[in-house]
Amino acid sequence: MKDQHTTTAGQDHAGSSASNSRNTGPGRLLIAIYAVFAISASARAGYQILTKFSEAPLAYLLSAFAAVVYVVATVSLAKAGSTWFKVSVAAVLVELVGVLVVGALSLFDPVQFPHETVWSLFGRGYAFIPLLLPILGLVWLYRRRPEARTSA
Amino acid sequence: MDAYFYIILVVGLLSTAVCLAAGILKKAPNDVTILSVAAVEVALLVYLVGSVIRVVAGEAIAGEAWEFWGYLVTAMLLPPAAVYWSILERTRWSNFVLAAVGVTALVMAARMNQIWY
Repeated sequence: MKDQHTTTAGQDHAGSSASNSRNTGPGRLLIAIYAVFAISASARAGYQILTKFSEAPLAYLLSAFAAVVYVVATVSLAKAGSTWFKVSVAAVLVELVGVLVVGALSLFDPVQFPHETVWSLFGRGYAFIPLLLPILGLVWLYRRRPEARTSA
Repeated sequence: MDAYFYIILVVGLLSTAVCLAAGILKKAPNDVTILSVAAVEVALLVYLVGSVIRVVAGEAIAGEAWEFWGYLVTAMLLPPAAVYWSILERTRWSNFVLAAVGVTALVMAARMNQIWY
């Protein structure tokens, strides 16, 4: 119950206090959930591609792409600094677009997308967490954005 | 669904409930929440030992064997990883991380059952 933020603050990025704040508190939960999705999506995509790639190359490449997005999101959320912040924003936005587009396509064009990916039917196979996760991620990133220090 | 699944179902849900409650009550990870996650690990260990015995006894796994073992090993890595992660920062949020272990183990156990039969 003692040191809440003292451990992570003031390690190497003492200059900008906001840079380390993304991987504490609720951010840890977010990173943990992203990590679980990174592992499961990678394992699933690897399995699909190794054993039955020719059945549905598009769907399985999408699986692999989703896995990469989750890995990038996990790592970037855990890292400090404004560069990693931008990487996080990009990864989470790609994830949001991915789940919306793939979700819609799998709904309206089940012939083209008959095989399951993490994002099929808006992530229904994963209790819709893939749909919820990027929204929570964006909220979190917005609340912990680096203090307006420009640099596009 | 076999007994191994139901053991993990009960232990996993209990662990998740305990950790969620502790997180909602703004408590940091304590002996109770960490031991509940340890119980999930024990339940998975029972599944592992039971499965090894069944395979040695000559029972065949219906699905891909390596997929089954992959799930089991990965599931068993989750509790230690979550406990380690929660000890690094002892805030209420770490209890929510611990809470995720039970449900995740439950989902993975369901998948393992599907592969086995």
